Amino acid sequence: MASVSEMYDVTWEEMRDKLRKWREDNHRNSEQIVDVGEELINEHASKLGDDIWIIYEQVMIAALDCSRDDLAWVSSPSDMSSSSEQGTCLQELKRQFPGSQRVKRLAGMRLEALEKYEDASKQYDSILQDDPTNTAARKRKISILKAQGKSAEAIRELNEYLEQFVGDQEAWHELSELYINEHDYGKAAFCLEELMMTNPHNHLYCEQYAEVKYTQGGLENLELSRKYFAQALKLNNRNMRALFGLYMSASHIAASPKVNATVKKANVKYATWATNQINRAYQLAGRGTKENKCSVKAVEEMLESITMS
Amino acid sequence: LSYFCLFHSGAYCKMLLHAAKYPHCAVNGLLVAEKQKEKKKDSHSTPILCVDCIPLFHGTLALAPMLEVALTLIDTWCKENKYVIAGYYQANERTKDFRPNQVAEKVGARIAENFSEAAMIMVDSTRFTMGCYEPILAIYDHHENKWKCRDCNVDSFEDWCEAQKITSALLEGRSYESLIDFDNHLDDLRNDWTNPEINKSVLHLC
Repeated sequence: MASVSEMYDVTWEEMRDKLRKWREDNHRNSEQIVDVGEELINEHASKLGDDIWIIYEQVMIAALDCSRDDLAWVSSPSDMSSSSEQGTCLQELKRQFPGSQRVKRLAGMRLEALEKYEDASKQYDSILQDDPTNTAARKRKISILKAQGKSAEAIRELNEYLEQFVGDQEAWHELSELYINEHDYGKAAFCLEELMMTNPHNHLYCEQYAEVKYTQGGLENLELSRKYFAQALKLNNRNMRALFGLYMSASHIAASPKVNATVKKANVKYATWATNQINRAYQLAGRGTKENKCSVKAVEEMLESITMS
Repeated sequence: LSYFCLFHSGAYCKMLLHAAKYPHCAVNGLLVAEKQKEKKKDSHSTPILCVDCIPLFHGTLALAPMLEVALTLIDTWCKENKYVIAGYYQANERTKDFRPNQVAEKVGARIAENFSEAAMIMVDSTRFTMGCYEPILAIYDHHENKWKCRDCNVDSFEDWCEAQKITSALLEGRSYESLIDFDNHLDDLRNDWTNPEINKSVLHLC
């Protein structure tokens, strides 16, 4: 089987940089990480310098996602004696950083991958005993609850965590998702409000907040959702979800029997504007594909339906 | 009345590819069938052939606006192609959880409003293998406002051997990396949710 560098004609530096980008963006493309990372470790370890440790960590987690136990950690003592190559990721990290909490967390994650949740939990508890502020260990414990389907408990623990670590954006976002999955849109909205406050220029949070408000339903929430879809568009005029959302919310408001003529007229205007922008976006993207023509047609029908009402 | 639907290989294959692309997420999508010309009185004897599958979303499924957009656009596409939205599939985030939840029931009911024989399909990820040795779906029919589970076996397929062979081959070849769902389309309008490349691969393997 061809190597990654052969197949994609990339240098080891490009592979290393790609891994870094995936790390920074927190991508969970585990199969690709394993493909690229394994080759990098096996062929170019000496060139990586100190980067190798963070790469071991990244590859180990990706290996757990792909059930690559051979890469994450040896599964039996006999394997250890036979390998003349370097040890697996976790082995190497343990060797280099004995007694490290960060490595302990990785060992816990491996236990989680084996569904040994009690053992994993004990591992994290021992980290927390030494260091009660270790956020990584606390978040892993919450992940275990999520994996076991204990959503109510996960939500409770995450709320407690956020009382202490109020600035943890990843945690607020995770909580918003947990609430959405429980159909508790009000509380999900609250989490997204926190995120919007601390990240006023993030168009994604605005757009997600608008989606939650829309889903909550009712005229007031629809109007709020329209405003936040519009805000998201202001922050990023290429956010298609915001554009579609603006159309949907405005046309629902226009069609509502509870609004007066002025509000109706204004919303028809917003919806029409949105439809034209959507049309434009499809024209720009289109290569005249059949599917694209259908989308354009659908959008035209959307336009007709508003102007007729 | 017991309706039964038959899965075309391409439809089954795309469902599984969607689930394989996002193993750590819930995924959902629609199934389309050819619009039948006349409604026969004894239509329960005519199987509904699920000819295609449109993957919709991955991750958070419980939000309304983009789902409504997708249903609107796909409805138009169906009309152009003489299809009808005939079913909904979902694979939950947790492997061991293959029961329909509120989202599945709501969307399923919405589809059933326009197509009374609509099926709601849950993917059982615990039996998901590269070799695809058995069908891993649970089919639910809408009866008196309730969803009742019906057995899904090799008879639910137009040609199970073909479906098995094609799905397994595309999984091995990692075709799921290029599968496009509606979420991908919203990220970049050039992404085609009809998946013409995968459709080609399916035809090649038939």
